[in-house]
Amino acid sequence: MSATITNAEAVKDPQSAPDLSMIARPPQVLNNRGPLWVTDAVCSIVEGKTPIWWYAAISIAGTFAAIGGACILYMICTGVGVWGSNSPAFWAWDITNFIFWVSMAHAGSFISAVLFLTRQKWSLSISRAAEAMTVFAIVCAGVYPAIHIGRVWFVWFLFPVPNSYGMWPNFSSPLLWDVFAVTSYLTVSSLFWFAGMVPDLAVLRDRATTKVRKFCYGIVSLGWLGNARQWRHYEMMYVLLAGLTSVLVVTVTTIVASDCATSVVPGWHATIFPFYFMVGAVYSGSATVLTLLIPLRSLYPQLKDLITPSQLEKVAKLLLMMGSCVAYVYVFELFNAWYSGNPFERGAFWERFNGTAGWYAITCLSINLTVPQLFWFKRIRTCLPLVFVLAILCNIGMWFERFMIVTTSLLHDFLPSSWGNFHPTIVDILTATGTVGIFFTLFLLFIRFVPIMSMNELKAALPGSQPHGDSGHPTGEGHSR
Amino acid sequence: MSHHLSICGSKHEPLFAIGARFDNPDELIGAVKRLRSEGYSRYECFTPYPVHGLAEAMRLQKSALSFLVLGGGLTAILIALSMELVPSTLIYPLIVDGKPLNLLALPEYVPIVVALTLMISAIVAVTGMILLGGMPRLNNPMFAWDLFAKDASRGFFLALKADDKKFNSSAVTELLHEVGAGDITAIHLEAPDQE
Repeated sequence: MSATITNAEAVKDPQSAPDLSMIARPPQVLNNRGPLWVTDAVCSIVEGKTPIWWYAAISIAGTFAAIGGACILYMICTGVGVWGSNSPAFWAWDITNFIFWVSMAHAGSFISAVLFLTRQKWSLSISRAAEAMTVFAIVCAGVYPAIHIGRVWFVWFLFPVPNSYGMWPNFSSPLLWDVFAVTSYLTVSSLFWFAGMVPDLAVLRDRATTKVRKFCYGIVSLGWLGNARQWRHYEMMYVLLAGLTSVLVVTVTTIVASDCATSVVPGWHATIFPFYFMVGAVYSGSATVLTLLIPLRSLYPQLKDLITPSQLEKVAKLLLMMGSCVAYVYVFELFNAWYSGNPFERGAFWERFNGTAGWYAITCLSINLTVPQLFWFKRIRTCLPLVFVLAILCNIGMWFERFMIVTTSLLHDFLPSSWGNFHPTIVDILTATGTVGIFFTLFLLFIRFVPIMSMNELKAALPGSQPHGDSGHPTGEGHSR
Repeated sequence: MSHHLSICGSKHEPLFAIGARFDNPDELIGAVKRLRSEGYSRYECFTPYPVHGLAEAMRLQKSALSFLVLGGGLTAILIALSMELVPSTLIYPLIVDGKPLNLLALPEYVPIVVALTLMISAIVAVTGMILLGGMPRLNNPMFAWDLFAKDASRGFFLALKADDKKFNSSAVTELLHEVGAGDITAIHLEAPDQE
């Protein structure tokens, strides 16, 4: 059965066997750590004393979130006039931020579901954090659809129920597709995230020393025992959920892209949009994963053997690939505008760069065409502080991209008399920073209260953790603990 | 010859199982094979992560979850299609942009069908995993065994239940010793009034 040639076997007989060290996979966990060390390292983050930086960080993030919440309340009490959205840009920061957040979520699903199904073992230790990022980004995105309709008490118009005239929502409208897509995305990714966590929450329950902890983790771990029958169903569920989530990676952005693409507005009406949104999504999400994991690794030194530079480098490569796809779409879009021969289409793209709002598009392109391309160089890709800074830049570039697509297209459509400009208000800005605050607050709570890595998957993938009749795992012995 | 057998739980309560601990998955699978060949059937294995080959050694069936999810997904397709088509063609026909209401219009109903199918399938998958796995449960007799309750993530545990037809405390203890188990313990239920 086990026909794999391990690195150690190749070393034994250098004469006959080729040197496989070049193609050998880097170890999942560095320094030959054993399963007990993995459990202790991951649990210690939750069980240890709360670090000072955590309090500082959550105070800052929480303050931003609270200000954002106050702005939303103000908007609801006063009306959408407090935002800068006005003719012709009826969709501005609200939809820009919605698309920005919901897209960012996709990289988490990509890493945890698609890379799981394709047996990319390197993603094991980062998939839980990436999934958490997905769930929290969808929560931030979900802030907008309800409030951008203006009169939030009519939000039930989005639900599939008849209104007082006996009229149902228009199921053919992409905006209604959006409601279902985002609801389904939030549900599926939260379930995937939570269900994958149950065995690890049970470990925390078993290790809990106080009654409160034991009770809380006992409730959320649902009475998990880890018996063979439970694992059998669990593994099946995990594969099924990974399959379902992989479909979502493609469908949700496609539907969100349809909001724009099914209209006739120049700059929106393009068949490349689903692909455009999806590659941008995984691109900005990979950047976020790097932005979150690089500091996390420095703040908790025990994670250095679990989140390895080689894994982060692979995420950087993913970012490079998706960034190149994004660059391709930019060029293709411009070519298509020229090739269409449509003066309005051409005019929209000319204005996009040369109009009053041109600096948005110029910022977007100058970041997204250059920054990811730096990751071709191994020296840059492996310098973690630099990757951290560049990843933040990529996300800034992506925010400008979403703004460029959504708003600057609206500024210059078919009717010259309605051409205009857009100016954000302070409420726009503080609501947007509020969602950033919500995101980081949730992520900080995640770090502190639940295992940030899938301990069971990591342990199952350690050398020597699986039984073997023919002892094909020479590295199985000699864990440090 | 009698081996040492620890006792946990309340001695006056009925015996639930005899538990044992193994250091590695190979020993556990060896023990399972031995128990099966001796004719025992009421035993459970507890591992900190899914162990390859354990379910096969225990002769567990393939998980029925995939069929449940398929059923859930197909039901979801029907629910979604009727939720969309019945209101928009029968209850209150909504003609937008002169688009037809017949089957030619079906593609525009697909996105919601996809979204709802994925959502309901995922809910069925997680609920199914929880219920088929005997959860949610607030307590379990196994937790009377302190070593297991505190350290389940560290070892590979086996529990042979007292309601097995062949169950005989001393014979089971003997057998578990033979297959290399450690910490062999008689797990009694906890007294109900215990805190």
